[in-house]
Amino acid sequence: MIPEFFEFYNPTKVVYSPGIASDFKAELNLLGASKYFIVSDIQVTGVFLDVPPNSEVKAVNACAEQVKTSGAEGLIAVGGGSVIDTAKAANILICEGGDLVEDHSGAQTLTKPLNPLVAIPTTAGTGSEVTMAAVIYDEENSVKMAFTDKFLLPDLAVLDPEMTASMPPRLTASTAMDAMTHAVEAYVGLQWSPVSDALASGAIELIFRNIVKATQDGSDMEARGSLLVASAMAGIAFSHSMVGCVHGMAHAAGGICQVPHGIANGILLPHGLEYNFEEITEKLARLAPVMGEEVSGLSPDDRAKKAIESIRRLTRKLNEMGALPLRLRDVGVPEERLPEIAEAAVMDGTSFYNPREVVAEEILVHLKNAY
Amino acid sequence: MGLFESSEKFEEVLAGFFRRVGETPEVAQKLLASKLVIRFSYTDPDVVIVVDCSGDEIDVRTGDTETKAQVNMSMSADIAHKFWFGKVNLMAALTRKQMVAKGPIPKILKLLPAIKPTYAMYPKYLDENGYGEYNIH
Repeated sequence: MIPEFFEFYNPTKVVYSPGIASDFKAELNLLGASKYFIVSDIQVTGVFLDVPPNSEVKAVNACAEQVKTSGAEGLIAVGGGSVIDTAKAANILICEGGDLVEDHSGAQTLTKPLNPLVAIPTTAGTGSEVTMAAVIYDEENSVKMAFTDKFLLPDLAVLDPEMTASMPPRLTASTAMDAMTHAVEAYVGLQWSPVSDALASGAIELIFRNIVKATQDGSDMEARGSLLVASAMAGIAFSHSMVGCVHGMAHAAGGICQVPHGIANGILLPHGLEYNFEEITEKLARLAPVMGEEVSGLSPDDRAKKAIESIRRLTRKLNEMGALPLRLRDVGVPEERLPEIAEAAVMDGTSFYNPREVVAEEILVHLKNAY
Repeated sequence: MGLFESSEKFEEVLAGFFRRVGETPEVAQKLLASKLVIRFSYTDPDVVIVVDCSGDEIDVRTGDTETKAQVNMSMSADIAHKFWFGKVNLMAALTRKQMVAKGPIPKILKLLPAIKPTYAMYPKYLDENGYGEYNIH
């Protein structure tokens, strides 16, 4: 089976090696800029450091002003998704001018290529280093604004597992579960394509093989590197195929009860798959062996159930290690707010891509299961 | 040259259709719940239509370039015409830049299930109002 239409576009050059973040001059020289400005949330001198945990318009404006004043011709973002998204949005203002929200929010609104952007992720979860999207919080209207455009794709993604080495076990586990959710939802989603499927299933396999190792031993650079590469693969996959109701519920839980995104995804992934089960049985069945399950002789239905059980077994293991909560009640969600979360999940843009219509009363059942 | 010979004709056809949609309770209620003000800017031929869902009923205004809209959709008249037949995949059109959407995209995407019944209404509307020559159904 093949979809009637799909497009695949990813010109971001990806380089991977332990230690490569300390020397990627050869790649930089190919981008055509001679002066770069660093955007980060880690302490070094001469960079824009004021990136909040969830990037905001004010921070983007301040960053763009500093970059313009410096005369830099390119940006290097060193950090997690918020840092990379701040740099992407600042790059819009630097090159296009105008008002970030009024003039540029939305899809395919940019008119020309932006200045060179290099992304060096320090977490292995968001995949923002290879996606054409940025999410910025608009403080004035209290809403998260999405920016989607091919010109937002970074020119270079420098994947160096040593840059993720300082992540504590909880962050390692939750960011990897974020990447896992990107990959699984891209694979089973309505906007799938054979290309995104290959990347998503490859990412799922890498995460299953390495998430426990990297959480157990943060100095295991092979495991960390595998998660970093998997995060980028999942990022490319979901940048094309989008995500569904797991993200819808996670966005809602994050907005209403401030549950960190990766943790929310880790808790909600099996429940979202159960919500969609009838519509995704066949594709989910194909993921079971990718997750390391023995499936010979089993029906598609049983294979699909095995895939969900495989995710549950993994999250239970991470929970036993003290690295991942398993229930919404454990992350400060009051039971009486579940209906509100269900309503918000329905209104989330991701529900459009979900294989099954997202209905508040029905998604609430699964939120209660996750509680 | 596109399917529509003049701005006047395209404006007459599409604004008329939007008004028909606004009078269809099952669709109108959902659009009004969004409270969105959407500006459609069409090219070849050039037409601007604002669909205002912020009040008690849907207000369709042609040539309105002044009102501040939360969402601005730009596309050719032919793509718009095909869209109302249900023959355009919105995400594919956005990806291929056949449509440009400025503003909160998730809110637009959420409206798609609500406007689904209009795909069947459009060809019927064309036939009933003497625009049968544009019917590609």
